[in-house]
Formats: sequence, structure tokens, C-alpha cells
Amino acid sequence: MAYIVAEPCIRCKYVDCVEICPVMCFHEGANCLVIDPDECIDCGACVDQCPVNAIFPEESLPEKWREFVEINARFSKEWPVITHKQVPLPTADEYKSVENKRALLDPTPGAGDV
Amino acid sequence: MAVEVRLKELLGGNTMDAAPELVVQEENGDIRCVACGHRCLIREDKAGICRVRFNRKGVLRVPGGYVAGLQIDPIEKKPFFHAFPGREALSFGMLGCDFHCGYCQNWVTSQALRDDAAVVLPKVCDATELVALGTRHRTPVVVSTYNEPLITSEWAVQVFEKARAAGMVCGYVSNGNATPEVLSFLRPFVDLYKVDLKGFNDKNYRKLGGVLKNVCDTIERLKAMGFWVEIVTLVVPGFNDSPEELRHMGEFLAGISPDIPWHVTAFHPDYKMTEPPRTTIHELERAYDAGKEAGLHFVYPGNLPGLVGDRESTYCPSCHTLLIRRRGFLVLENRMKGNGCAKCGAAIPGVWEEHAPKQSAGDGYPRAVRL
Repeated sequence: MAYIVAEPCIRCKYVDCVEICPVMCFHEGANCLVIDPDECIDCGACVDQCPVNAIFPEESLPEKWREFVEINARFSKEWPVITHKQVPLPTADEYKSVENKRALLDPTPGAGDV
Repeated sequence: MAVEVRLKELLGGNTMDAAPELVVQEENGDIRCVACGHRCLIREDKAGICRVRFNRKGVLRVPGGYVAGLQIDPIEKKPFFHAFPGREALSFGMLGCDFHCGYCQNWVTSQALRDDAAVVLPKVCDATELVALGTRHRTPVVVSTYNEPLITSEWAVQVFEKARAAGMVCGYVSNGNATPEVLSFLRPFVDLYKVDLKGFNDKNYRKLGGVLKNVCDTIERLKAMGFWVEIVTLVVPGFNDSPEELRHMGEFLAGISPDIPWHVTAFHPDYKMTEPPRTTIHELERAYDAGKEAGLHFVYPGNLPGLVGDRESTYCPSCHTLLIRRRGFLVLENRMKGNGCAKCGAAIPGVWEEHAPKQSAGDGYPRAVRL
């Protein structure tokens, strides 16, 4: 089991989580982050860093976001690693309480920093 | 959750400042703890992955002044087979762990801060009381064990300073998720160090909460720094017992030193890992063979006392004379002469007493003790 970044991250990308991760398993897309399930050590340190509660252990991921298990697995192999805190997206405050953002997920890789 | 809160409140009073050697100050009041290989960046009012080391107003606070497990164990239970054979070790533990192994056999203490089902109430004490207990029971060794000692290293060092002054030798029973900083911090006080090598597959290691490379680096570093090191691998059917994985572990250890004792111990279902069956005698013998074929001089199948032939005993690697005959945690006969083989005189690696007991004084079982 790994931790999963789910829909609330989309168009927010606060990036508070990445510096906490002891194994550098966050990967950056253009408008959200994902966790590499093969690298995650299940420590859970990232969970309470996220201001929009986007991170869940796989076993308690809300059913409506089940698709994000596969999204994390897939995009973590395509997007670059990110390890340092950055400025959130300019759209973060506007989208932090918006629901049903799945269609807005941008598959373009982010810049990463490793 | 209520249990966790109560426990946290209880433990909140039993903390002290972290050793400066184990803290790196970062920006904005953040702290990086280097007591274990996670190297947690801990923000204000947050705790590290272990949940027992936390940032209070820019200061790293760590546990001290209590024990959650305390007994006198045969030293063979740690297990150390090449240190003070037949003698006893005062053994204490605290609460918490930086891993979350599904098969933990000490989960009531190690997972106390993660799992409400794990409840052991800590007992407040000071280092002097603990060492006095060891003196009273004449234990030559004192060991930090049961939970992960790395995350409570400051408390261990407080106890060990006094224990060494009282003539005792000190040890760690650890998962090996260490850092160079914490090993340097411990080295003046710790002579015996047992590491759990939980497998040789990084993906599986991550399921337990660790990274294989950190543990391998620790084992190499411990030997280079002159600790006496013994390794344990719990052989879990279907998890880490493939012929390749056993061979890789044996070869890795033999590559560091063929004199490292490797304990391959039998699994029994525990905590959350209840599906794999118990390790059979045959499976344990396979692990033993893998270690011997890799070139290790001392491989010991554990947890199946009396069922693995003469493999629990120590033989001289030079002349193959029986040196220490064991069953389980019991030394039945010690024929060593000082630190060498009684027959050919070859030096046997380990930490030996000049006048060791010829057999265990106790019955091979732990003894409950009270402060």
C-alpha cells in the first residue's frame, strides 16, 4: 500500500508536502502532484502537510477518487521528481474548495527540481 | 484516538531536548532530525515519522525518563551468540518505531503511537534506577531493545553512561535505519549492535517503512566503526525466502566480513501479517545453507529450539571443534578458552569473558523485574 495524491491537489499544488517526504517520491505535473507507489514507504508524514487534504493512504482513499491509484502509478513514471517547496499555483485559492476537478488534470509534466 | 491522545499527554512530560549531534537547524524554525535514516524535516508543532521526536518552538524534544518494557533476558534472546554467552542482559524499551512492520513481534510497544490497539503504559524512572537494577541482578550487559532504540538514543546514552561507569557493556537491538551522525553519537557508549536485515528486496523493505540501502550502509558502517555486529533475518515464507534473496543476503554479509554471525529465525504469524504460514524446519535449513554457501562462518537458525540438529551451536571455523553447545536461548556447554578455541587456539570473533560460565545460569527464559 502507498499513499495517494487525489483530486483536491488539481490546480492548487501547494507543494507543502514534498520537503517532508523522506524518500523523495513526489512527482510534479503541470497542475498537480503524484506519489510514486514503488518509492513510497507508507510513513504518512506528508498527509497533514497538505492544506487541502489531498493525500490518503490507499486503503482509506474515498471511493470517488479510486481512479487516482492508477493516476499516481502512471504519472509518477512520466513526471519529474520534486523535493523543494515552491510557490503554489496562482489558481490555488480559487480551486481549493472546488469539487469534481478530475477533468482539469493536466498530463503535461511539471518542471521538477531533481 | 482517545488512547493515542492519553498516551501522548502521558509521554509529553517525559521528554528532554535532543542531543545537538542529532539536530540540524533548518530555515523558518524547521528542524531536521538525524537520529534515524528518515532524516525527518520536522516543522513547528509537528513530530517526525517515529511520532516520538517533535518540534516544540524550534527545539527538538525527544523521549526520556521512562521504560515501556523491562526485563532480564538471556543474552542469546537479543540475539547475541558471540558476546557474553550464558549471561543475562538487562533489557529495556520505550515506545515508538520509525518502521511499521506488519509482522512486528513487539507491536504493542513499537506501534503504540500509531495503533490504538497497542497499549502499554510507560513506567517513569531515571537512569540511575535502571542501572542499579542491573547491578543488583549482576547483569554484565544492558541493552536498549523492544522498540527501535535509534529514535530514543538520547535516553539510551543517559542510561549507558551510568551503566559503563558501573562496569556493564551496552548494546542496541535495532532495525539498522541509522545515520552516520547517530552512530558517531552512540559509539563511545555502545559495543554490541544487532541489526535486523529484513530482506534484500527494496520494494518489500518500503512496505515495512524503510529503505534497503540505509540498512546495508549501516551494517557496513558499524563494522568499519568497530561495533560488534550480529545480524538477524526473520525468514518469512513467500516474503523474503526465495533462494536468490537468501543468497544475496548471505553474500552481502560475507562480503563485509565472514565473521558476522547471521541468525536466520523462524516466523510466526503476528500483528497484521497473519497469512504466511510458520517457517518450517526445512525452510530454515535452506536459509542456513545459503549463509554457509556464501562463506559465512557462523549461521544460526533460530526460534525452533532443538529442531535444527547441531546448527544452534558454535564450531571453530579452523578445526571444527564444538565450542558452544546451545538449545534455544540456553547455553548447555561452553568449551571456549578465553576468546579462542580450546583445541587449536584460533581466535573466535566476538566479545568474550575471560572466565565465562560453562553453561547458562538461568533456565533460558526471560525474567520479569521491577524497579
